[in-house]
Amino acid sequence: MTAVIETRDLTKTYGTVRALDGLSLSIPRGGVYGVLGPNGAGKSTLFRILLGLIKPTSGSASVMGGAVGDIAAGRRMGSMIETPRYPPYMTARQVLEWLSIAHGLKSDSQRIDRWLDRVGLTEASNRRVRGFSVGMLQRLGVAAALITEPELIILDEPTSGMDPPGIQEMRALIRSLADTDGITVILASHQLLEVQRVCDRVAIMNRGKLVREGSVTELTATGERLRLSLTPMAQALSVLGDKGTIEGNAILAAIPRAEAPALLRALIGQGIDIDEARWVGADLESVFMTETGSIQTPETIHAR
Amino acid sequence: MLADAIRSEAYRFGKNRMTVFWSLLFIPVLFAIGGVIYHLVTKARTAEMATKLNLPATMGLEPVNLAGDLMNGAGAAANGAILVFMLVAAATLYAGDYRWETWRLITARNSRINLVLGKLITFALLAVVAMVLFMVAGILFGVSQAIVFERPLSFSFEAGEPGKIALLVGLSWVRIIQYAMVALLTAAITRSLLATLFVPVVLGFAQSLIGGPGLPLLGWAPTDWAAQLTLPGLAFDTLKAAVMAEPAAPPAPDGLALKAAVSLTLWTLVPLALALAWFQRQDLSKE
Repeated sequence: MTAVIETRDLTKTYGTVRALDGLSLSIPRGGVYGVLGPNGAGKSTLFRILLGLIKPTSGSASVMGGAVGDIAAGRRMGSMIETPRYPPYMTARQVLEWLSIAHGLKSDSQRIDRWLDRVGLTEASNRRVRGFSVGMLQRLGVAAALITEPELIILDEPTSGMDPPGIQEMRALIRSLADTDGITVILASHQLLEVQRVCDRVAIMNRGKLVREGSVTELTATGERLRLSLTPMAQALSVLGDKGTIEGNAILAAIPRAEAPALLRALIGQGIDIDEARWVGADLESVFMTETGSIQTPETIHAR
Repeated sequence: MLADAIRSEAYRFGKNRMTVFWSLLFIPVLFAIGGVIYHLVTKARTAEMATKLNLPATMGLEPVNLAGDLMNGAGAAANGAILVFMLVAAATLYAGDYRWETWRLITARNSRINLVLGKLITFALLAVVAMVLFMVAGILFGVSQAIVFERPLSFSFEAGEPGKIALLVGLSWVRIIQYAMVALLTAAITRSLLATLFVPVVLGFAQSLIGGPGLPLLGWAPTDWAAQLTLPGLAFDTLKAAVMAEPAAPPAPDGLALKAAVSLTLWTLVPLALALAWFQRQDLSKE
């Protein structure tokens, strides 16, 4: 599978802060690829480098086979980074006309109409953007990213500021871009459920590094854990060691199924009362929380 | 690619009606309307004086020569008001992408050099439009004079005048572009629309003070290198005077035109080079 984006040891520092720390990532062509990470993980820095807005401190990155800054490669890519803004005196249609011209295309009203329709802005097409809500700006941002009919688009938080029906429409649009239009979509979002529903593959970043990468199915399948409702929890955690994590009023034990009987015997042997034990599949959120260190571990519990 | 940048800047500028009005139309319209009012007031005052002095109320009927108005318009096309109001266009073009955070929409698909040159060339074309409109307003001034005073119109050049008009137009165009280069540099460094608007105004005001009462205080003569290099406005006036000079006029000091030309060139190219160098390495994600 050819890669649309490749980075090798990509590093970006701001003073003493390493926003990207030797990131090596390969994003395959086709489908929807999610880039996840907590605030400060380096997602936006990565996108800004890929768009040529900032230069990396070291390492290399390529987009569509060309180095970052290669105009021919850049013309095959569209993007929407954070909430987009536009000259307030322009209408939505004029924004798309302007960007078409800026990108070397002839102004094509049919193409503009088509994308306005697909993002649900047909009725607002002749309104000035100064009166647009954040959600409408997001929709226009997606249309602006697509107006050149690129092979790759980068969408950073495309549903931010949208209402639930809008989020659902955007999710369907993103899926159809990949499935119907054959566009590779790279999506960054904090809404993990949305990512799990719409993405084919996911990269999880933390502190400028890639901590996990794979298909959503792979990531969630490998996270099957034994959910134990028991008391006292602290004693159980000492038995489980680094295999146990707290989730609400229960403990999740990351063990193979074959080890479950021995574990249960050990817990009972320690005088621990087990109310319930059942296997749960991991969702992307729990994988994310584990990989980014956002979850409570035995160490954090004992430290209290 | 450069053509795309120019077309997109021109398209975007054309949609900004407020900026189009203030930068291109306001001064010519004001000049044309002001001309009509001026002629009407002058005629009324003249008639009043004629009545008081018991003179005939008729004016001389010599024709109004529109070629002269064209010449005056070309000479004044880079006047202070045009320079200041053209800054509205310069600020919008040069600082608009910082103000509206739109660099990120256009940088991946064109080189930074092309993007800046696209803005510069668009501004240079707008400067031509502004000058043409001002010269048209100058002709309307003459036409309104002819109508108000019931004088015939004529259009006749004296020998060498078409060439002088061409030189004056070119010189005024360079002066407008040169003045806006300070705006380009300010925009790149400050990323601020307001600063782009006001820094050149403040600098121009300071230079006019130096060029007026400041020169004797500094012990500079207007013909000195220091004065010419410090004051591009003085350099422009020097070159304009050289173009307009009558054959019988006393010759300018040796090398004065060269000093003025060097000054205008440096004031154009140095801010441009600094702005380009700065912009090339700028983090455009901070807008």
